[in-house]
Amino acid sequence: MSHSTESALFDPVASYTRRKGFRRQQAEVQFYEYRIDLYGYSRGRNETVAIELKLRDWKRAVEQALLYQLCADRVFIALPTRASSRVDAELLRQHGIGLIAISDSFRCVQIVPARPSSVVRGHYRDTYIEMLLEPSL
Amino acid sequence: MSKTEPHLIIRMGSHAEKDYIQKTIQFMDGIIVGANLLEATPGATASLLINCAGAKLPTITYYIDPMTYAFGQYIDPATRTLRSDLDWIKSEQKAAGKTGKTIRAVKHSYRKLAEQFGTPFSNALSRGRAVTQADLQTDAELEASCQRLADYQQKRIASILSDDPVSQALADQAPGPAAVFAPYFYIEPSNTDVGIDFLLACARRTASFTNKTPVHAVVCADESSLKDDAFLKRIGGEIPDTGVSGVWLWFSKFHEDKADGQTLTSFRSLIETLSAKISVYNMHGGYLSLALSTVGLTGVSHGVGYGEQKDVVPVVGKSTPTVRYYLPPLRKRLGVPQIERCFDSLGILTPSDFHEQICDCVVCKGVVSKSLSEFGAFGDLHYSTPQSKRLAQTPAAAKRCRFHFLLNRIKERDRIKKSTTAEIVNGLRLAHERWSEQPSLAGACDHLERWQVVLG
Repeated sequence: MSHSTESALFDPVASYTRRKGFRRQQAEVQFYEYRIDLYGYSRGRNETVAIELKLRDWKRAVEQALLYQLCADRVFIALPTRASSRVDAELLRQHGIGLIAISDSFRCVQIVPARPSSVVRGHYRDTYIEMLLEPSL
Repeated sequence: MSKTEPHLIIRMGSHAEKDYIQKTIQFMDGIIVGANLLEATPGATASLLINCAGAKLPTITYYIDPMTYAFGQYIDPATRTLRSDLDWIKSEQKAAGKTGKTIRAVKHSYRKLAEQFGTPFSNALSRGRAVTQADLQTDAELEASCQRLADYQQKRIASILSDDPVSQALADQAPGPAAVFAPYFYIEPSNTDVGIDFLLACARRTASFTNKTPVHAVVCADESSLKDDAFLKRIGGEIPDTGVSGVWLWFSKFHEDKADGQTLTSFRSLIETLSAKISVYNMHGGYLSLALSTVGLTGVSHGVGYGEQKDVVPVVGKSTPTVRYYLPPLRKRLGVPQIERCFDSLGILTPSDFHEQICDCVVCKGVVSKSLSEFGAFGDLHYSTPQSKRLAQTPAAAKRCRFHFLLNRIKERDRIKKSTTAEIVNGLRLAHERWSEQPSLAGACDHLERWQVVLG
């Protein structure tokens, strides 16, 4: 099996983050001109997570992840395992961005942990939490 | 080469921009409108022009861009082929008497413009093929066409006013344009000599008329022409010899902040060469062009919210672009989160820090007054229709960005007037030092280094 589209990465990553406690989730959350591929909230930890999925272009993913640190407590980029090996893990650590690798069998592994964002803005975070806690979701 | 005081000329693209124009025109040096807009809304445009550039504001001048290039050939951006079918000035229009049917036809404003310009423009529409040099082969044809275009620019406003009983009395006092443009067409990169010959012929003939209004030429070419030595030599050497007193440069796809060093250096050299003999303007320029007044550029025009560069072939079918926030230290538009991401590390922690380090215009003081979180109002989003699937910038947010940009542009013009080249370059250096290490601005500050080299 292989990952031919970004959307193929969504389900394994959503399941993985759900297992990590981020049970309230929403795909394609708009943040100004950007769309966060997956935004989640863990009620138990009172923590939010934003994940940018990419098949290859990890540099673009990092650019977006840096911005998502404004609206989420932890931010990850997620790529297929083969592409994830090319990622500059040191750069991610420097900025506190996490990395998730997705194997051909759709198993997710955290390669780099995400640090709590030091620039998260309460007004963005709270708006998204409110949205995720709406009964319709 | 000599330092000039840069003129800031606002380009009005539609009447939706009227509010911006009316509120800021007193701080500008001029206004320019496309003749297609004048023909689409003659009364409203003429009235706005005389209010902006008439007795009320005698120091403001106006220009009418005859838009003749729109009747010429163009390169289809999708196929890279030369097209003569005038499709770029056509739109889907309701077919008369056929409910629900549409036809692709020349836009109403260009049809009216062709009537005003007469042959060969009206013929081009009838035959469905672009105007070329072959249509103005004889002296008589060239003279008639150039004369008619010059007359149009000089007399059209008075003629529109005299057609309306309410404004008839104003017709006699209507000011003329600051300059008359000679007909101009896109100089296609694979055929530059023919294009330049045509441009020179039109410029020379228009300049030969004995009238009081100065004549200006427009060099409308591709950005790649700035790397064509033969092109630059001819434009720099031959335009002043036509007798025009000014030239407007329009390089399609030329972005001041994206262009490489060689392109920017050529642009500067061309300005220096031309400005030794005639006035030089950039038809769609930004901060760098204003700063190039230090080497002789007389003026810069641009639109109210964007338009610091313009492609000759209009971009069709895209959604309305977001009007991004103009970050004054970088002289560049960026998204709200890209800028907000820098606040903590730059020590911008309060509204007064913001006003001190980013912008203290009245718009920013009004928007960011109690909390830094209010900065997000420049990017506010909404669903523009009940069917919209994606959020888009609210009209109010776009308006804030446009007014903030215009106020900053006026401030930049005023500061450049008082600055030496060394001071301008130093300002760019300091901005680069301060902002280029910001992780969310990777690559977004590189132009500041290129500009220092070009200006220095």
